[in-house]
Amino acid sequence: MSLCRYLPTPSDRMGVIWTLLSVKGAVVLEYGPAGTTHFSVSMYGQMGVEPNQSLFTTHLSEDDIIMGDVTRLEEAVREIDKGYHPEVIFVVSSSVTSIIGADIKGVCNYMEQETGARLIPVDTGGFKGDYSLGMREGYNLLVKSFATEAVERKKAVYNVLGASGCDYRMRSDLWELRSLMQEGFSYTEHATPGMDSSVAALKELGAAEVNLVLREEALEAAEYLEKTYGTPYVYGAPYGYEGTLCWLKKVSDVTGVPVNPELLAKLQRKKRDTASYKMYASMYAHKENRPQAVIVGDVSRIRGFSEVLEEVGIPVTLKISNHSLAGFEAGDIIKPAKEKEKISLLKEKTYSLVFGDEISLYLCDESCEKVVTSFPLIRSKQIAEHMPFIGIRGMDYLLEAVDRYYGKL
Amino acid sequence: MNGAEIISRLKCLGDVNSTKDIRQLTAALFPGAHCPLMGAMMAVGGIEDAVLLVIGTDECTYYTKKATIGGFSFKGIDNRCFSVVLDHHDVTFGCREKLMEAFEELMEEAAPKAVFLVTTCVLEVTGDDVDSMAEELQTQYQIPVLPVHTEHFKTANHIPGVRDTVTACISMMEPVSMEQVNHKRVNVIGQRLGKFEETQLYDVLVKHGIEIGMMLPGGTTLEAVRQAAAARVNIVVNELGLPLAKKMQVQFGTPYVMFDKYAAPEHVLQAYKELMGYLKIDMEEELETMYQECVQMAEEAKKTLSGMKYVYGNTALSCYEYNAFMVSMGMEPLLIQTNEYPGEDDPYVKYILEKYNPYVTKSANIAPLQYVYDELKPNLYLGHEYESRLRAKKIVLVHDSNLSSMLGFDVSKAVIAELVRAAKEAKILAAGEGELR
Repeated sequence: MSLCRYLPTPSDRMGVIWTLLSVKGAVVLEYGPAGTTHFSVSMYGQMGVEPNQSLFTTHLSEDDIIMGDVTRLEEAVREIDKGYHPEVIFVVSSSVTSIIGADIKGVCNYMEQETGARLIPVDTGGFKGDYSLGMREGYNLLVKSFATEAVERKKAVYNVLGASGCDYRMRSDLWELRSLMQEGFSYTEHATPGMDSSVAALKELGAAEVNLVLREEALEAAEYLEKTYGTPYVYGAPYGYEGTLCWLKKVSDVTGVPVNPELLAKLQRKKRDTASYKMYASMYAHKENRPQAVIVGDVSRIRGFSEVLEEVGIPVTLKISNHSLAGFEAGDIIKPAKEKEKISLLKEKTYSLVFGDEISLYLCDESCEKVVTSFPLIRSKQIAEHMPFIGIRGMDYLLEAVDRYYGKL
Repeated sequence: MNGAEIISRLKCLGDVNSTKDIRQLTAALFPGAHCPLMGAMMAVGGIEDAVLLVIGTDECTYYTKKATIGGFSFKGIDNRCFSVVLDHHDVTFGCREKLMEAFEELMEEAAPKAVFLVTTCVLEVTGDDVDSMAEELQTQYQIPVLPVHTEHFKTANHIPGVRDTVTACISMMEPVSMEQVNHKRVNVIGQRLGKFEETQLYDVLVKHGIEIGMMLPGGTTLEAVRQAAAARVNIVVNELGLPLAKKMQVQFGTPYVMFDKYAAPEHVLQAYKELMGYLKIDMEEELETMYQECVQMAEEAKKTLSGMKYVYGNTALSCYEYNAFMVSMGMEPLLIQTNEYPGEDDPYVKYILEKYNPYVTKSANIAPLQYVYDELKPNLYLGHEYESRLRAKKIVLVHDSNLSSMLGFDVSKAVIAELVRAAKEAKILAAGEGELR
């Protein structure tokens, strides 16, 4: 990428920090210049992550860089340990300390002798990849560093893996997920690493009967839990009525618990009611502006929204990932190498139903029906925690957008 | 945390020899200070037809662009802030190739009249020679390309970013002959907060037919910057404007007057007199009236302020001048938060030390301050803090947000009035007469 006109892709360091910040009882200590920490706070706030005595920075001076002096880091670790008594301190390197090769692993090793807190070095300086990689590292770290001991299996309990504050309306999605699991199986949530968890809950991740994996970035963590504790997992989120039915059946197959028939009946009714949307799609297919959709977002959500649009018969003609596709089975999802290319792809779309972030929506023609489905937000705020994209309520909401879209064609 | 232990690590003002002696309250900070990149962004935002091109990591560029979309005079998504994002390849092999390619795109799409090329921490560590790249680009595209270095590890906060961006503007200024100097025009340098047009000084100047030329970084155009040397005098309203003013004095012979937000009435009077001398405006009588009004107000205030103990944070005023003024009012500084030490010869430092020897610490680290209050037991806090948290410890917050758009005797009057209000409230709190709000 050369010239960047809008927002660049957040780095692996940003992804790992916002994943780790969610752990209650833990502190994230950044070893780097303070400005980045100060700047980042508003972004975490937008995601619904409020660092309350859980994020600190050491700052750095020129002398520290030239002399490789880690005294500042040592003092900060001691202070946090003594002053806040966290169970864990994640010591995260910065771009500067990565470049100079500061040995934060070594510091954590010898400092741990004198601290009550466990010290976990996170050597992600922002140059290995983008936030998707950082989140992958974050989930692995949370699962593999804590879920190490034998635990007793708890009945009717699940974990959610791959939930993240970086997904717009994730709190709403989790609310819907809880509702589906409760109504469908009478299951309750145990922990959601990367969103809602504590050190104690992470240590007991192996107690769940099933892991629900929302993002591909958390698959490795799910596989680890399956190998270590024999916990099965279900990958994918319940998008659309049909998708929700399939997802519930998958969960039922894995847990051996039948889905509540009332919930199934409700979903079947909803599914029948959407038949008219498929009919609209075929009717409008002969018009000058044929129905088509554009999705910009993270791979997992693009797949989910694609299922929704397939259910209503609207072809998705452009799928743009916000993060790198390395390690993903991308299919027809693309990640333009240059921002210019992405801008041009979006600008040429007219009369489309567009799901995406507010910058991508801004770039699309006014004839499009635009639905905010991902960060970054520019004009709006995320407040509601009861407006999901998944499950029954999610599909209800998205159908309203589809309806508005047909009104524009 | 233990407040006494935190305090034991600090130095007192009398023991400080250089800025490096001013220690942080704690090694772990939250949220920490803003970086000079933010300062550069704020300054370029004030030059309405200039472009900001940040060269940095995804993080630095992301946060800068995000901030400009929300404000800082950039306005909207398609604004004047662009970036070149560094990856591991650029760290190893240098950013030249990527910068040249990006600049070509920038020229094609935005055709800027001037570009501020702002480097960040990583480039300053790897040692990429962005200054020579800027020269090359300037020659190639025939527009001013001004490098500004904003590595945070050399500075305490964002102010050097504003200062260096403002200072870099000198290369765009065009020399003028003596005859071309407009004796009825002034430049204003260093107005980083508030609007100059709302100040008492502005009213006085306009009343006497003086026109305002370049206002850096308060809001100007490239054309005004080019014509800056035609002003009779530069008014430096914050010390961040001093390097530019000094350079303009050497290069163009433009004199300058230091006219900060002074708390002490005599300093305001002195600044007015010096400025009016350059502009050949006779307002001796008018100034004396305004001055005497402030002096009387200060004398009256001493009765309430005497004996008040305070902790000083970051305010819109000049740190040491304001503290010296409060000492002159009989107040006692317990702890001063500052990122700079002006030297032992500084008259304000000398004045403070004649009576007190307060602790000093770096600013922007309010979390551990809570424990310090328990030890020092101040009556007042000046700067950014949570008012309710302070009140729970019987400390009253002295507000200063209305001072941003003030310059002149209105600053003295507002400061005295607010200190008196806060001191009265503190006395009521200390007497255990309950919560006022």
